[in-house]
Amino acid sequence: MSIAADTRPTLRLSSPTATRELYLFIAILIVGAGFSFASPYFLTPINLIQTLRAALELAIVSAGMTLVIIMGGIDVSVGGILAVTAIVIGKSYQAGLSSFIVAPIGLTTGTLLGMWNGFLTTKLKVPPIIATLGSMYIFSAIMFIVIGGAWISGLPGTLSPLVNGTVLIIPASALVILVVYTACWVLLRKVPYGRHVYAIGCNETSAKLVGINVGRTKIATYALLGFLAGFAALLYVARLRNVEINIGTTVALEAIAATILGGTSIRGGVGSLLGTLLGVIFIRIIQNGLVLIGVSSLWETVIIGSLLIVVLTADALRNRNSPRV
Amino acid sequence: MSVLLMRLQSDPLRARLLLLIGLWIIAILAVSLLSPYFLQASTIPYLLQYVPILGLLGLGQTLVILAGGPGIDLSVGSIVSLVGVSIGAIMTTGLGVWPACAIGILLGGVLGLINGVLINVLRIPSLMATLATMFAYGGLALATTEGRPIGNFPETFGWLGQGDTLSIPNSFLFVLIPVALVLHIMLTRTTIGRHIVACGNDDRAAHLSGLNVVRLRIGLYVLSGVLAAIGSVISLSWFLAARPDAGKGMELAAVTIAVLGGTHIFGGTGGIPGTLVAILIITTLQIGLQLANISAAWQLGIIGVLLIASVASFGGWRQIWSAKR
Repeated sequence: MSIAADTRPTLRLSSPTATRELYLFIAILIVGAGFSFASPYFLTPINLIQTLRAALELAIVSAGMTLVIIMGGIDVSVGGILAVTAIVIGKSYQAGLSSFIVAPIGLTTGTLLGMWNGFLTTKLKVPPIIATLGSMYIFSAIMFIVIGGAWISGLPGTLSPLVNGTVLIIPASALVILVVYTACWVLLRKVPYGRHVYAIGCNETSAKLVGINVGRTKIATYALLGFLAGFAALLYVARLRNVEINIGTTVALEAIAATILGGTSIRGGVGSLLGTLLGVIFIRIIQNGLVLIGVSSLWETVIIGSLLIVVLTADALRNRNSPRV
Repeated sequence: MSVLLMRLQSDPLRARLLLLIGLWIIAILAVSLLSPYFLQASTIPYLLQYVPILGLLGLGQTLVILAGGPGIDLSVGSIVSLVGVSIGAIMTTGLGVWPACAIGILLGGVLGLINGVLINVLRIPSLMATLATMFAYGGLALATTEGRPIGNFPETFGWLGQGDTLSIPNSFLFVLIPVALVLHIMLTRTTIGRHIVACGNDDRAAHLSGLNVVRLRIGLYVLSGVLAAIGSVISLSWFLAARPDAGKGMELAAVTIAVLGGTHIFGGTGGIPGTLVAILIITTLQIGLQLANISAAWQLGIIGVLLIASVASFGGWRQIWSAKR
């Protein structure tokens, strides 16, 4: 599979991810057309902006998840990172600190928790899935112990313009997503670090032999995901002004689903950020549309799970003839 | 002494077992310090009551991981939930409770078969495939019942989950012990057991020497599904109700038990006795913390730490330590 990896910076339509992006875009149009036919409320500006705001945190986390999965890793603990960071943010606000101090505290917390995952996978050589599963347990334990089953509420919304505001008719959340994805795209495609991420995902041993500092790149990538989860936590608190106890429970699985839907290979080495963004939009549109046509939100997980199985199966069938690595 | 040490070094499985028994004794000492109620004869049946469900899942997980690939089954918790509500639903159609259970166990096998085919025929990485089915099965259990538990189980059905013989819970005496014995004999005394270990050690070599690796591994996923379904029956009989989230979080505990018990995460080494002692360790901590009235969140944290520690390679530290001596 890694032989087919297109690591050239220019996006060509013949590359494996570009065709996936096209299919996904068409799928979004078809599903969107279906929903706007079924419900008159779907294609209204208010609903679309609302959907965009609901997609903000998932989009930010998924950008980092894409880098981690391209590198051949995985992180199922991002929900826990988001939750613990949100609690740290909430407690700092309650201690009377201003947003200028709380924001760096939140971002640092997220980054440190991400680095912890990187440390486990590189220094203690725990396979990423096991390491992050264990971390998820630990993070949710910390969360329950600290907030003890109660909400943290009544938090200030000084950062809420980042979510709810508009800049010359463009919703601020769209701009935030644009900035995050552009920054990650530059990291992935324009600087040596991104090359290293692709190289490790293709073949870790060769990457090491070429002289790439595999350990440092891995820790940096997990830390980046943690940083983005911390940023998502800041926006979460700004948007809702409280911290619920079930915060972040579905984020990890949704982010992985969006990344895989977007054409990133679960085996690493192949993937694109644009695909992931389309995957996020696809997931959120389906969720929003189902609510509008009156389907219980409990069906969401069934649909995302089945979608994931279908996409993984399609990928598997398409790659059946390619050499196994 | 040195002879004993050398014998242990040549048999890592036995060394692991001794280590685990030591850990168990430490766990017992620790929780009896925390709670004066723990070291009493009445604790034993209470403790054994909690062992069988998790035990069956852990045993299935052990075999799936042991056969390599790398294999893992994250969907077992969701299978417990889905099979439970299916049995409840079948019963409301008027069928007797035991035939309904038989159909439920069959369903568990089918769900396991789906996992096995996705992973071994379509070659989707086990982690991704079972993550997706975990979503799909668990979501299906919640969505079809709209989150409401199903009751109406006859009192006599409680024999398995609530009753005891010679003050030992029936589910432990008549289900877990026989299953563990059969699996242990299968693993150590039959050709199938040798084949499982061979697949885990080197599936290419196993394939070249004529083993049907794919069929064997699919069989183990089916077994894992069946064991999860039996666990679900025990849970139903215990609570006389089918909760749609009955198996939530169990998959992580099952993986923890398997790897803590000495099964190598990439397969090839491991055994039933280690898994059994690991279950006792986890359950002892669980019950002890419960008796000492310590928040359940600490259990999550401890399981997380155990999971990471049992997979982590402290090779670097060991080198430093031996260099100092």
